[in-house]
Amino acid sequence: MVSENTDLKDFKLRPMKCECNYLSKSDGSAILSQGHTVSLVSVNGPLDVKMQSQSIEKATLEVLFSSKGGKPTVGDRYKEHVIRQTCETAILGSLYPRTGITVTIQELEDQGGFLACCINCSCLALLNAGLAMRHTFAAVSCAIDESGNIQLDPARDQLDTARANMTFVFDSREKSLVTGFTEGSYSEDAYSEAVERCRAASHLVFAFYKEIVSKYSNVIG
Amino acid sequence: MADIYKLIHPVKYFNDYISREVRPDGREFHEQRNIKLNVNSIKSADASAVVKCGNTTVVCGIKLELATPKAEEPDFGFVVTNIELPPLCSSKYRPGPPSDNAQVTSNLVSDIIINSKCIDLKDLCIASDKLAWVLYCDMVCMDNDGSLVDACLIALMASLKTLTLPTVTYDSETEEIAVDTSVRSKLNVHGLPVATSFAMNTQEQRNIILADPSSYEEDMCGGLGANLIICYNKGFICGSQKFGGSNLSTECERKAHKIAKERAQIVEEVINVCLKNYENDTNNQ
Repeated sequence: MVSENTDLKDFKLRPMKCECNYLSKSDGSAILSQGHTVSLVSVNGPLDVKMQSQSIEKATLEVLFSSKGGKPTVGDRYKEHVIRQTCETAILGSLYPRTGITVTIQELEDQGGFLACCINCSCLALLNAGLAMRHTFAAVSCAIDESGNIQLDPARDQLDTARANMTFVFDSREKSLVTGFTEGSYSEDAYSEAVERCRAASHLVFAFYKEIVSKYSNVIG
Repeated sequence: MADIYKLIHPVKYFNDYISREVRPDGREFHEQRNIKLNVNSIKSADASAVVKCGNTTVVCGIKLELATPKAEEPDFGFVVTNIELPPLCSSKYRPGPPSDNAQVTSNLVSDIIINSKCIDLKDLCIASDKLAWVLYCDMVCMDNDGSLVDACLIALMASLKTLTLPTVTYDSETEEIAVDTSVRSKLNVHGLPVATSFAMNTQEQRNIILADPSSYEEDMCGGLGANLIICYNKGFICGSQKFGGSNLSTECERKAHKIAKERAQIVEEVINVCLKNYENDTNNQ
């Protein structure tokens, strides 16, 4: 199903650029661009929360997503849900009981693979905030076109012609699936191949995280 | 005794069952709950269905309305899905505006309908740029005992399958609309998307998936909305969403696909039998 010329070339993701501590007033922040897609994430916490949303077992994670238009929609709630569930599995919340952690995401530019960019940016901001985590996580998106070819990290124009597009999030330790969501319809084989491709490509994202962390940490460098 | 044990050591209580390869309600890991389905229960709606998957109860009603299509898509009608989770269905919900969970579920169901392409929105158009049908699909959950998306989708698909559209004649010169409710045509539904939820748990390095989880099992495996949902339509996957819970191994994923595929056939049969019985009943009257 997959054409021959795809072995190494396809493992390229769009260029990533990141700046941490972009915002001066938050505990941790990061701005990340993947190709022309840009998102900005700020993390605050652990801080006080309302009595009713306090949990005696773990920190309460609150995710706020603001789109470029500013008007909240049902789709935004879905994005918040995806990001909250992803961060919740990664953060060691039991270390901060009865507190709250707020993750705020601002959409700056959406040119394909936006949610993947948001998730990666959230991970960098969480690292920057110095919150204890079980593992880091990396999101990789891919698109399947009409002839069944898998294109990693597609841009906007490739997404429009795709039959299905999928995003997968992997953890850094066992590279197992943390979160996954798909659009369009496809066969089981195409799905498992896409997961494997994205899993392999997640190494690039983890390598990028390492590079950023060593750039910003002066002691462990 | 068991009740006290459950309250004092909630996690151990659950894990003890799982380690003995059985679930707290006596089911096996891959076993689903019984499905009960009834169509056209609400006479004031254009189509309706009530479904019970175990204790999870969802009522779906479809109301038809005429509207002008969007200017950018003049040949398309609309399908508007909405899910209500009133405080009646679970203690987790409070009265007021739709909760986050309701909005996320709504979004999941409408995504499945769009991705499976089971309804061609062009079928809903009566006159290009002038007149089209709007299907308001409202689902109300009466009792939320887990696997909400599955139940909502069964209710919605069963209602869509019974939906008939009245004949509408549109005069383009006088812009007059005449609706003849005595002559009705069936709505074309391509395929039948069926969603299957799984709860994911890890025990001693072992990945476990529980098909069709109850709300108690969902709570123990990551909380509200932490599920793996796989949706099949005509043998193709038309949506696979995994949120939260334990991380998933490749082997478990394969198992989940197999269970979801089998369940898709069972649910399809349930809906078809129910519709057949309903048609026989109406013909005999």
